[in-house]
Amino acid sequence: MLKIRDLKKKFIRYNRKKEKEEFYADNGITLTAKEGEIVGILGPNGAGKTTLLRMIAGILEPTSGTIDFDGLTYEADEITIKKNIAFLSGNTKIYNSFSTYELLKMCCQLYDVKKEEIEGKIQQVAELLNLNDFLYNRIENLSTGQTQRVNLARCLIHDPKYYILDEATSGLDILSSQIILDFIKEEKAKGKVILYSTHYMEEAENICDSVIMINKGVIIKEGSPSKIKKETKTTNLRDAFFTLIGGVNHEK
Amino acid sequence: MKNSIWCILKKELKEMFRDKKSLSMMLIIPCMIPLLVFGMSILFESTVNKPIEEYNKIGIAYETNEVEKQIIKEVGIDPVYDTLENLEEKYTKDEIDLYITKKDNTYTIHGVNNDTTTYASTLVESYISAYKDYLQNNYLQNHNIKPTEVTNIITLEENIVEEENYYANYITVYAFLFIIMAITVSATYPATDTTAGEKERGTLETLLTFPIRSRDIIIGKFLSVSISSIITGIISLLFAIVSLLLVKNMFSIYEGIDTMLSFTSILFATIVILAYSFFISGLCIAIASRSKTFKEAQSALTPLTFIAFFPGMIAFMSDMSASPFLSIVPFLNFTVIFTDINSGNINILNLVLMSISTIVYIGMILTYIIKQYKSEKILFSN
Repeated sequence: MLKIRDLKKKFIRYNRKKEKEEFYADNGITLTAKEGEIVGILGPNGAGKTTLLRMIAGILEPTSGTIDFDGLTYEADEITIKKNIAFLSGNTKIYNSFSTYELLKMCCQLYDVKKEEIEGKIQQVAELLNLNDFLYNRIENLSTGQTQRVNLARCLIHDPKYYILDEATSGLDILSSQIILDFIKEEKAKGKVILYSTHYMEEAENICDSVIMINKGVIIKEGSPSKIKKETKTTNLRDAFFTLIGGVNHEK
Repeated sequence: MKNSIWCILKKELKEMFRDKKSLSMMLIIPCMIPLLVFGMSILFESTVNKPIEEYNKIGIAYETNEVEKQIIKEVGIDPVYDTLENLEEKYTKDEIDLYITKKDNTYTIHGVNNDTTTYASTLVESYISAYKDYLQNNYLQNHNIKPTEVTNIITLEENIVEEENYYANYITVYAFLFIIMAITVSATYPATDTTAGEKERGTLETLLTFPIRSRDIIIGKFLSVSISSIITGIISLLFAIVSLLLVKNMFSIYEGIDTMLSFTSILFATIVILAYSFFISGLCIAIASRSKTFKEAQSALTPLTFIAFFPGMIAFMSDMSASPFLSIVPFLNFTVIFTDINSGNINILNLVLMSISTIVYIGMILTYIIKQYKSEKILFSN
């Protein structure tokens, strides 16, 4: 189980007068994600979704608050936690001069997969995500969809317990997006913990068990999609979000 | 080696050897050394051994007697007799190398100061000096004085042993200084690519999600850049040794000079190359990792190339030798010890001091970089 309590991240920016100014990208986020659950993190660009997921993935250090993976924290168990998580964002880049095979082999080595199991793991993942046609091709020669499948394979190769997916379908065509969404559902069925950030509200409505809606670094609503719709008296999450923030004009 | 460091090192080397720019930086720069050695040898050889035909056309604007004619022939002057006006015109058209006029007993050499004039002047001075000796001897004999009693009152003998050939020494020192420069240039590209380049390509974020400590990432990157620098350094050293051996048999400026380094000198030169490669690689990574883009990192690293070369130039020009103190001064220590090894002066204490101080500097630099990588500024510096 993943427990996040009162997570805050403060950044410094410069205003028009070039004076230093502190602001919170995330300001007191609390959430829990259980095994076999997909938790959607919804919000517009700049809401604080990526910062939140980067903190959970251990790339950014929180200003305050706690992140707890089954009793483990980054302060004491960084390497153990990172061996059990997979972070994938729409912007995640991989090594272009490597072939898919070389990249997956390197990932296996970094995640301490036993030497004798590496070949089997690569073949298994390659078949699952249909990578065999371009397994030995350099990543620089692959299409966007193929590259994102390789990225997914990279996340899957060490059989992580936690998936942190940040706009993972962003910029992909329908087929490539569907492969990722199917994959998420399969992993959920295996009892994995999945955090899924997106600004496609319909997509979240279809696959998430519960969602948290973030705006300007704070949670404005949380619960199951049906509960949120009921409470906001709307028929979809998009309308629910606009209702919660007081409409598009208000946001502007 | 720790698994994660080994993985990062393999990743970095794979990327480096597949990148044409990194490879060319690593392998092409050492090729400049033979060009430098041959180029400088040809230049100095032509200066030292200029063929007499290139500067012996001397214009003479007066009539010479038989004795003068004989002397002119003996010193190798190819005389052009003509009026002053015509000689001036010929000189302007480069048909003669300089010209002489005579008024009473005063001879005047005319020309514009350059290499050819200098060489031609020496011929004229030889001619005038010989003719003066002839006239003085004649005068003394006419007054019944033995010329040897007057002209040889004192005798000057030279007993100066030439320890080194200036030109050959100049070329060998520059060849070795160029190795330092080649290593510096070779370290900047992979250091930029592995830090700012990785950040710009977006793969650094991916790397930071792997279960690896920042320390292991840095050590892996540091070792890969060092390997690239060492390869450049060793190839450069081989090229320097081979080209110096070849030019020795081709140019007379190397006469009496042994350009072959002893085994000990080669061994110690290799130690300096290793130490400098590690040092400069760490420094390049430290500077480049603060930059957001590849271009920014390259701009930040450009002054380093000059900083690396200047101490060597200063040491060479001021004839500086390694001392225990200089052996711990970064940059200066490598070039001074390198120059000393090249001239056969090997001091173990200086070498040990240089090695220990370099290890300390590398430790400090790596600690700084690791601290940088722990900070999120490395990823999100803006």
